[in-house]
Amino acid sequence: MPRKRTDKFVICRDTEAVTYLEPGLFPAGRQSEWTEQNRTLTFSIHPLSNQVAIAVAGKQPSESLAQKVPVYEQDQVVHICGLAGVPDNRLPFVNDTHAVFRTLQKIMETSGEERVAVGVDSLLRMSALYREAMLRQIRVLQEASDVTEFIAGEVDTFHSMHAVWHLLEIIYLTTNLPGLSTSIVPHFMEWLNLNFPAPLAEDGQRILANADLALNTELWPYMRKLALRGHVSVLANMLERVGQELSASAARWARDVAKIARNMPLGSSEETAGSFNARWRRWNEELQNAATAISSLLPSDDVALEPLSTVVDIMRGDADAISAEGESWQDILGALLLYSEPTSQADRLPSLAGIVVEQFQAAEFSVLDRALVALLSYELPEFLVFCNQIDPWLSAHMADLMDHISILDVCRAAFAVDPREHYLLALGEMYVGHENLWRVGLDYFGLGGVARCVMAEYAMRIPLESDAKARQVLGVCREFGLAMAVDRIHRQLGRQQWRRGRLGAAIAHFAEVSDRVSIGLICDQLWDQYLESGVLAYGPVIDSVLAAGLSHDRLQFLTRYRDFHESYKAQQFVDAGGMLLSILVSEIAPPHAVADLLVDAIPLLEGDVLVFSADQTLVLMRYAEALQQSPFPTRGSSRLGAVDEGELNIFNVACARNLARSFLV
Amino acid sequence: MNTLQRQSVGRKFTAVSWLPPRAGSAYTDTELYFVTGLGGQNKELALWTTANPDFESEPKAAPALTSDSNLATLVSKAAHDGDVQDIGIVSPDILATASSYGTIAIYDVQHHDTAHSSSSGLKLRESVTAHRFANGEPAVSTALSVQPVNSLDVEIASCGEDGRIAYVPLSRIDALQVYEVDSTVVTGVCWPTPAQVAVSTRAGQIKLFDRRKPAEASAVLVDPSTSHSFECIAAHPSQSFRLAAGTDAGNIVVWDIRNTKKPESEIVSVHTSNVWKVRYHPTDSSKIVSCSYDATVAFTQWARDMTTSERDIVRWSNFFNVLSVGCFDVCPFTRTNLLVAGSDSGNLLMVKSPATDFRLF
Repeated sequence: MPRKRTDKFVICRDTEAVTYLEPGLFPAGRQSEWTEQNRTLTFSIHPLSNQVAIAVAGKQPSESLAQKVPVYEQDQVVHICGLAGVPDNRLPFVNDTHAVFRTLQKIMETSGEERVAVGVDSLLRMSALYREAMLRQIRVLQEASDVTEFIAGEVDTFHSMHAVWHLLEIIYLTTNLPGLSTSIVPHFMEWLNLNFPAPLAEDGQRILANADLALNTELWPYMRKLALRGHVSVLANMLERVGQELSASAARWARDVAKIARNMPLGSSEETAGSFNARWRRWNEELQNAATAISSLLPSDDVALEPLSTVVDIMRGDADAISAEGESWQDILGALLLYSEPTSQADRLPSLAGIVVEQFQAAEFSVLDRALVALLSYELPEFLVFCNQIDPWLSAHMADLMDHISILDVCRAAFAVDPREHYLLALGEMYVGHENLWRVGLDYFGLGGVARCVMAEYAMRIPLESDAKARQVLGVCREFGLAMAVDRIHRQLGRQQWRRGRLGAAIAHFAEVSDRVSIGLICDQLWDQYLESGVLAYGPVIDSVLAAGLSHDRLQFLTRYRDFHESYKAQQFVDAGGMLLSILVSEIAPPHAVADLLVDAIPLLEGDVLVFSADQTLVLMRYAEALQQSPFPTRGSSRLGAVDEGELNIFNVACARNLARSFLV
Repeated sequence: MNTLQRQSVGRKFTAVSWLPPRAGSAYTDTELYFVTGLGGQNKELALWTTANPDFESEPKAAPALTSDSNLATLVSKAAHDGDVQDIGIVSPDILATASSYGTIAIYDVQHHDTAHSSSSGLKLRESVTAHRFANGEPAVSTALSVQPVNSLDVEIASCGEDGRIAYVPLSRIDALQVYEVDSTVVTGVCWPTPAQVAVSTRAGQIKLFDRRKPAEASAVLVDPSTSHSFECIAAHPSQSFRLAAGTDAGNIVVWDIRNTKKPESEIVSVHTSNVWKVRYHPTDSSKIVSCSYDATVAFTQWARDMTTSERDIVRWSNFFNVLSVGCFDVCPFTRTNLLVAGSDSGNLLMVKSPATDFRLF
């Protein structure tokens, strides 16, 4: 029996967030007084976007109230409230990352079963493109002329997104590249310095420019920060420069430490781990010696010796010194990795991160901290939840990428629903209601399973303002195999065109979904229009439909009836007669049109030329007989359509005369 | 596949057109102006300016894949009633737009030149509803075309989803004439000559109309080998008997209509999906330029070279542009091959390539 895990993270689709309207629809604190006046709120949710229409309504209809209720102007307004949308300045970012998302899916699709063959290489390239888009967005936002609170918030969000994405990239992609040194340390330091404010070169310049350098209070904290972040060569330069202003002994030690710092061993992919470790040990011993020598001088009157000793302690990997000096857990983790475990691989991170994070109050952590710690500790389900709190874009694309590097299965066990599908769906829902992004939104839906059903529902609700857009939506639906949506959209468009009087277009839409009943009704309408006006004007309508290769009894009837008229007009009476007879015999005419057809035969029967042979005349007479005996009037009140009894009598006489003539000829 | 230069704008581009240089003013053609129509959430008309590449001293190195260069600068914007479906340039100062609400609008391009600076703006002059369905709902105007005559009193022909052509005289736009010409959607319109109008229809027909007898088609052309519907149509700039139409299957059909009883047509497969717009290259009419739903812009050598049987088709796209390229315009005023296009992905796209050798046909 499979081990059952508790659903730690059942995603609640309706987060119980309370949104307040500002200003409210009634005065604050006067709710009961307000409701007593027969008033309540009514709302309706937009079918596509996150918008709600809210209005004041009466609890009972005003007609049913005994006394007249006063009407206030402010109650007559319908308020449209948007809960959350896509801000305008994010559109370029959404479009760019959508392009990367599409390419990524295509790469994974083409690889098919041979997922391994795709290699980390191309995934890494895509991941870098995502990050570039984030950085570009940060740059654009920072260039904005007026930095509002909203834009500052967006910048923060994008910084967080980038930090999270970059960390996942170095753990799962960069250090997984085949044929490279797999130590995570240099990458981790790069991540740290890129995503969290590193000691700035300008600060160093400013400090060095001060006149009384040795007494500057900013000097040593800056040096310690340099040491913590592993900027050893900058540190060495600073030490040499500072040494000129210190006492003789402090200056000597500063020069020595600078020299050692410059010699810090750097790993390379060509060097074996053993040889690197040997070099590292030698370097570390030098530092140890320096540290012992300096601390033997302490306590001292020389103010520079103590901070110098701290810097050396940090560099020799002294955990206590590092913990004491590091301001954030990222700093401490980085320094520990760099100075005490320089050859660590990614799998060392969880335990090390655990040790570091213990020293901090978890309650004070921001969402970003929590997400990063969860990622470092391989708590992937938790990590995804925190990603979602940072931004829905992040959780969706993160879940997608994690699925492609095959680490999402852990989360699948912990979530009640498939996390990739869920987060992508949530993102798609956010986009599909946006006028410019509906196509992007549909792409995020197209994943199969539940998403397909949701996609079909949304596709049917996308407003079809123009014919071109309708065709695009239909195209997307066909691409994703949403047969039901295609069917519904065509019917909807057919009815719309019918209402607009575009009968040809309406027939074309109904033909797409084989709605023969509606086509028959439209044809009947065309026939009725002809009977009313007496003008055969439907030619262009059915021509365009027939060009598309549609076959329908009523359409055939209308075409052949028109051909009959054309032959008659061209005085080809025999052809016309044959046409008329074939319409009757093939029984494509609607029952209510038979009488009209028979009346149309009168001029042919009475003409100078003999059109109908004896047999043909008998056929005509049989139809007239059947018509007169038919007990069921099919349309209107009369079974004869627009024909009256008298005309039919003329027809009978004409038939008899024609029959007689045909016997003589 | 060549890489288009792009500028990410985050708006949905629906139409674009270059403005001709203004003669006799401080406007030098070191700066070129073009107008874009925006649709979707922001329904606007925008005026942009870009440097004339003919005056660039050094051809720049090919831009990197991810670069988001600054191709053009926004000069001015004006609100537009509905999505801008098409833009027709009447003169350097006047342009006409077709809207998804069925209106034809005339805009003035205003230039204010002072000694130190010059500014330009767009201002709505007047508009008229040209397309309506029988039940009174407004119908989308799908395209428009300005009569190619050298006078200011021109007519603007527009077509719409109501299957009608509207002839709007610029001097009195209220006096428009509307004729029902098709039972499906009329998707494109062009003037091969000042007295002849050609339209393309959803049902896969090209219809020709004599302007003097506008109610009935003088010829209806159908390509029997294809049942695809047409999305757009364009006339050759100098040979009025040549037409090009784009289909919804990604083909371009080139017509020779000298004999309207027996027109010659040839199908070229250029794109993989709907061709939204075709145009003969204004300075090298042996090429047809087209843009498509498959997110590419293509230059097709339609006239067959005697030496090769293969057609020369050059396609342009951009990694960051995955959605439909809905509009483009080729600048006829530069020696450099300069094309601007806009897409649903919210990108302004540009082709700047050295002019090809002149070829005679």
